[in-house]
Amino acid sequence: MPGEHFREGFVDADGFRVRYLEAGSGTPLVCIHGGGGLRLSAAHDLLSAKHRVIAFEMPGFGASPENTRSQSTEDLARCMSEAISKLGVGRYNLMGTSFGSKVALWMAVQQPDPVEAIVLMSPAAIREREGPVPTRVSPQEAAKLMYAHPERHRGSPPPPALVAKHAALTSRLLGPPRDPPFEAKLAQLKQEVLVLFGTEDKVTPAEGAYLFREALANCHIMLVYDAAHAIDADRPEALEAVVTDFLIRKEQFIVRDQSDLIHN
Amino acid sequence: MKASLFCNSQYIGAAPNDVWPLSGKYFDADAGVHSMRTVLDQFKLADELGFDWLAVAEHHYSPFSLCPNPMLMAAAVSQVTSRAKIAVLGPTIPILNPVRVAEELAMVDLLSGGRLIAGLMRGTANEYVTYNHNPGESRERFAESLKLIKRCWSENEPFGWAGRYYDYRTISIWPRPVQRPSPPIYISASSPESGEFAAQNEIGVGFAFTTIPHAKKAAEHYRSCAKAVGWEPSPDKIIYRALYHLADTDEEAFAGMATLPPRIALANQNRGVFEGARKSGYFGADFAGQTTRNAKRDLSERIELGQVIVGSPETALKQIRRIRDEVGAGVIDFVVGVQLGGKTMHSIELLGAKVLPVMREF
Repeated sequence: MPGEHFREGFVDADGFRVRYLEAGSGTPLVCIHGGGGLRLSAAHDLLSAKHRVIAFEMPGFGASPENTRSQSTEDLARCMSEAISKLGVGRYNLMGTSFGSKVALWMAVQQPDPVEAIVLMSPAAIREREGPVPTRVSPQEAAKLMYAHPERHRGSPPPPALVAKHAALTSRLLGPPRDPPFEAKLAQLKQEVLVLFGTEDKVTPAEGAYLFREALANCHIMLVYDAAHAIDADRPEALEAVVTDFLIRKEQFIVRDQSDLIHN
Repeated sequence: MKASLFCNSQYIGAAPNDVWPLSGKYFDADAGVHSMRTVLDQFKLADELGFDWLAVAEHHYSPFSLCPNPMLMAAAVSQVTSRAKIAVLGPTIPILNPVRVAEELAMVDLLSGGRLIAGLMRGTANEYVTYNHNPGESRERFAESLKLIKRCWSENEPFGWAGRYYDYRTISIWPRPVQRPSPPIYISASSPESGEFAAQNEIGVGFAFTTIPHAKKAAEHYRSCAKAVGWEPSPDKIIYRALYHLADTDEEAFAGMATLPPRIALANQNRGVFEGARKSGYFGADFAGQTTRNAKRDLSERIELGQVIVGSPETALKQIRRIRDEVGAGVIDFVVGVQLGGKTMHSIELLGAKVLPVMREF
């Protein structure tokens, strides 16, 4: 099972008891999950070999009590930044997935200094239009939206009550596809941002990549072939390789540093 | 129906036609230059006669074709013609750099003022030996390369590609094609896998060096796969390629075509290539179908099977009608079968003047 070697912890922040899963050492990589809640994948395992991965569960997701207090992704961002600070983490890299991409970007806007670089995976932060949402369709349809090859992913779907709880929370907090005040704030971010889209993703399709290029000063688009919305589950090795290279070399990651020599 | 003229840029000179790869010692530069001039003359004539398409293709290491880069040939054709579409049928994309293919095809579309038809091919087994690729991975590479080429044309922002077989960190091609969002795309669909792939991607198909019964089955499969995903291909989406030679009378035409030695497919000219490709899994689910199409046959049998169109214009029209009726193809890609100087030019004239106006009404 993915995430088996992650250890569970809890930290109090903004009046919530926030759960997190952690593994690995090195520069911290803080992961903010998508609208389906915290679910570790093979990509998290691979990333934890080179980074200290801290994957938070935001208040109201998973087994945590219903969250009626947070009114926006801005509120969730404040809570997450406080949780990181309480853990004694200094500078960190930040990865936000789907719904979590908006939370992650707010974190960087609110407190830019500790954020080293940003990775957005299948980001829902800016969308051309409302698309299908995996938590609002049948489990079979959700699997087709999440995975390019659903038949390769065994494992039971999450319980309907949990899916409904997540759907209610994310639809209340995510905001409209286009959010001009939010987008205007993104222009001030100085960090390098890697934005990943699956070529088969219908939830946050790659056709919306230009929106991030327009909003962010230092934005690098990467299309992950044969991946749907859950890039980390569909192409974990490809995802880990490009994310790690980007986090180490930032904007220089476009220059190949592996040798092309075949034999000496 | 539409008519396409395909000159495969064969070497017009003395050289063995049953060895792959063939030694360069047989190559004569003057004959090479003459071969290239001949191709351009024939395309120029076909353009003047009103052919709908002019087609070029990619082959390596053989006098069968002096065109290892069809985009280069298409660029040359674009400068001596003015109205026919230029059908690049096509680059063998799994053995090429997809970004380079997207760039070169965009150049051809620009140089021709938007006349490009982009056939993207998997190629025969021997082509994989050319640049040392595993033929067993050809379908996966093909699918990924096709998707990447289309994205190169459609994506305005610089993007990276984390693929299975292709890995790029930033792509933003210049120039872009004239035709948006992309030039018309065709793939070869003689195998059931490719027919299904074309249907799913809503692109056109071509059947090359096939037989009428085989193409009929493959076209039916393509149409039924398309129906299953909710669309219906127009006849224009199906290209049927056949070798041809016309003359004023059947006798003259047969005499001309009879100068052509029996065709041995390039992949069958080398025992190592054929066996190695078979073991790699290159042939896929339809090994028998793919290999029998290339079997050695005499001329009369090839005519009967629809591999060759030969005779007077009247005789040719009957054969063309049969291809239309049985396969449902909307485009016939006529391969210049034999290079006989003036006789071949006359064969192109007859096709343009006597056959083309009639088959347009089919």
